[in-house]
Amino acid sequence: MNALSKDVGTPELSPLIAARGLRKSFGGAQALKDASLSILPGEVHGLVGANGAGKSTFIRILAGLLKPDAGEILVDGRPFVAASPHHAGEAGLSFIHQELALVPDMTVIENIMLGLPKRTRLGWVDWTATAREAVPVARRVGVAAPLDAKVKGLSTAENWLISIARALIRKSRLIVMDEPTAALSVAESDRLFEIIRGVRASGVAVLYVSHRLDEVLDLCQRVSVFRDGRSVAELAGGALNRRALVEAIIGREQTAERVVGRASAGPGKTVLSVRGLTRAPKVRDVSFDLRRGEVLGLGGLVGAGRSELARLVFGADRPESGTMTLEGATFEPRDCSDAVKAGIGFVPEERRADGLVLTKSVAFNVGLANLGSLVFSPWLPFIVGGRRRSLAQAMVRDLAIKTPDIETPVGKLSGGNQQKVLIGRWLGVKPKVLILDEPTRGVDIGARGEIHRLLRNLAQGGMAVLVISSEPEELPDLCDRVLVMAGGRIVRDLSGEAITRHGIIAASYADAQERIHA
Amino acid sequence: MSDITLSARQLSPSAKAALGVFARYGTVIGLAAMIAAFSILSPDAFPTVNNFVNVLNQTSLAMIIAGGLTLAVIVGELDLSIGYAASLHGVLVTGLIVQTKLPVPLAIVVVLMLGAVIGIVNGLIVTKLRVNSVIATLGVGTIIVGLSFAYSAGVPIAAGVPDEFLDLALGRWLFGVPNPIIVMALVLGALWALVERTSIGQEIQAVGGNPSAARLAGINVDRIKIIGFVISGVCAALTGILLASRLGSGTASAADSYLLSAFAAVFLGSATLRDGEFHVFGTFVGALIIAFGFNGLNIFGAPTFSQYMFQGAILIVAVGLSSLGRMLAET
Repeated sequence: MNALSKDVGTPELSPLIAARGLRKSFGGAQALKDASLSILPGEVHGLVGANGAGKSTFIRILAGLLKPDAGEILVDGRPFVAASPHHAGEAGLSFIHQELALVPDMTVIENIMLGLPKRTRLGWVDWTATAREAVPVARRVGVAAPLDAKVKGLSTAENWLISIARALIRKSRLIVMDEPTAALSVAESDRLFEIIRGVRASGVAVLYVSHRLDEVLDLCQRVSVFRDGRSVAELAGGALNRRALVEAIIGREQTAERVVGRASAGPGKTVLSVRGLTRAPKVRDVSFDLRRGEVLGLGGLVGAGRSELARLVFGADRPESGTMTLEGATFEPRDCSDAVKAGIGFVPEERRADGLVLTKSVAFNVGLANLGSLVFSPWLPFIVGGRRRSLAQAMVRDLAIKTPDIETPVGKLSGGNQQKVLIGRWLGVKPKVLILDEPTRGVDIGARGEIHRLLRNLAQGGMAVLVISSEPEELPDLCDRVLVMAGGRIVRDLSGEAITRHGIIAASYADAQERIHA
Repeated sequence: MSDITLSARQLSPSAKAALGVFARYGTVIGLAAMIAAFSILSPDAFPTVNNFVNVLNQTSLAMIIAGGLTLAVIVGELDLSIGYAASLHGVLVTGLIVQTKLPVPLAIVVVLMLGAVIGIVNGLIVTKLRVNSVIATLGVGTIIVGLSFAYSAGVPIAAGVPDEFLDLALGRWLFGVPNPIIVMALVLGALWALVERTSIGQEIQAVGGNPSAARLAGINVDRIKIIGFVISGVCAALTGILLASRLGSGTASAADSYLLSAFAAVFLGSATLRDGEFHVFGTFVGALIIAFGFNGLNIFGAPTFSQYMFQGAILIVAVGLSSLGRMLAET
């Protein structure tokens, strides 16, 4: 493969990769209309745009997963068509997705060297040679876990580092990172940025795809903006600032994004009361009250025990000790269906893996928690087509879900719209408590604002809303009250003006050792 | 390597659309083409009402057991016990009638209930003990083989089977249509309505599509899986009963081969009309393809062993072409 040749030419002028006029349509929908983008060797290049702008399609074309309908891609100035992911890898392109492609049951070192085993003369795996190659790279990107540990127990941050090590060992010249910090805490993100800067210093280019503009501004030398399938701007130097980016992303300055007001009505009576809930080591002695009409935030670092706490409340796991009461009555869910019957709804963190049946329609997915109200009678449980339709249509309308129609498979919608479908599933049930784990992860600015407004409206309608978020900006915007968890415990209860980004971050680090006295 | 060269080729949108249609309707088109071809090649023997009724009658038992299996695979499990179970049910129903002297309807009800019990056992082993369904149902199926031989001592129960029981499979109670066809139509119709039109069906599809999402939507996943196994078990019992009635005897391994034809029909069906999903109507089409294929081979005097080759080959070709067509249509 001549694409692997080492001569890079004059580094500043000839792009490593240049894509011109890419087009791609699926059925009737044009995902890419005219997308161009060039990446110089050794730069961190940002790619931003609202969900549905064509970023994912573009990446999938680069990776050899999709064929463009028109347009060309040049690698080192030569035309390149990635016929398969393997082919893209040979040309020096590596891809790290939101859903990381590591093998959970294999060790760190096996994952790094996957597909590149060193062999002894007998054809057996040569572990000494393998380690000799993998260890320096793993150390360089700061993999802290033992290299013989299985990947399945490791954190998302560690997974990212392993994936980067894997890309480097393949002598990749471009690493494409799709929403790398979506699942990372602030500290973990900072560590990742250091690694990215180090990678860049060694001459490897990075295509950094993210909704988080601050990170993009911080990391990238140049940023391309996609909108509605077209590349609408390429910003660098002095022209690269937040305002210009936002303008390019949404096509107009939309400064009034944080319109979400705090609760006007005072908090109502307690709906859910949690006392001493424990499931070691992730949840320890957690007590709190959730009231009617409030949006309660759960802040803290990834791994602080927030998702695990939500699972206990929703009956997905059983607590070792502690009690819960729901509207005054003892609440001991044995499984999720108990929790649903008692009036709790749950929107999980991994909406594609744990929330939706992707091959099924919008109507199917919305109806899933509402089947009881869609049937003719409990003894003749035939779905009444009209009810199913009107429920789905009502949700599509009320939540402004962008979909061709209610029979479209939900896997074809963008991330923000998938999330709305999931929320819509619970609105029909009208739960007393709605728990949302990372409700706006991977969702574009516009949809994010809509989801926030929606949650506020639900609270104003009397629902108790519990929101878990790892984005420091999100909770101050949205919540009446924020509980900060660290090391499985609630370490701070913030309300009113005390809910600030700084306050949440400071409290997040206040673990058992009280390292920070905030 | 061939898939790379195939997918590297730029396909025009119309070619993709055609491939997508082919992936969905290929099996139906294939069935129609097969019937047309046999009709042209053998205009006297093949395209007659008698022959068609005969083919349907022959394949009804396979369709019933395959319909039940469809429910088990929709919830994401495999049931390998059905063939052996159907054999046991055949032995048992004749034994209960001939030896225990139970009234025929009561014997049938007892055996259907046993089918449900076997389904519950399979389901409990898979959901509560978390044993992989292949292993669980293979184990249960092997135990069932032992039970069949224990009950019958390996000797077919044939003497003294009353006409009342034989009439079940051999009679034509409605408009001269053979009873197995009526039973098959009722069973498949009911299963189709259950899966496609009821709330339990939605839950069944959700559990098969994404068990984790189903659970977090408040669906009792274990219960739904057990329901899948129970339906599979009851349909196996029905097939076993009808087979014993048709053969006029209960034989310890008479229905074993239904396992293979049921799987073939179900997987052929997954390549029909929907993108790789299991569904009851697809199973019906899959069973028809196998039945007409066998019938055609018979008419042309092909040796019996060729039927197995046909069944295996058509399965791989149909499912393979369908998934290949789908893949090319999507890239």
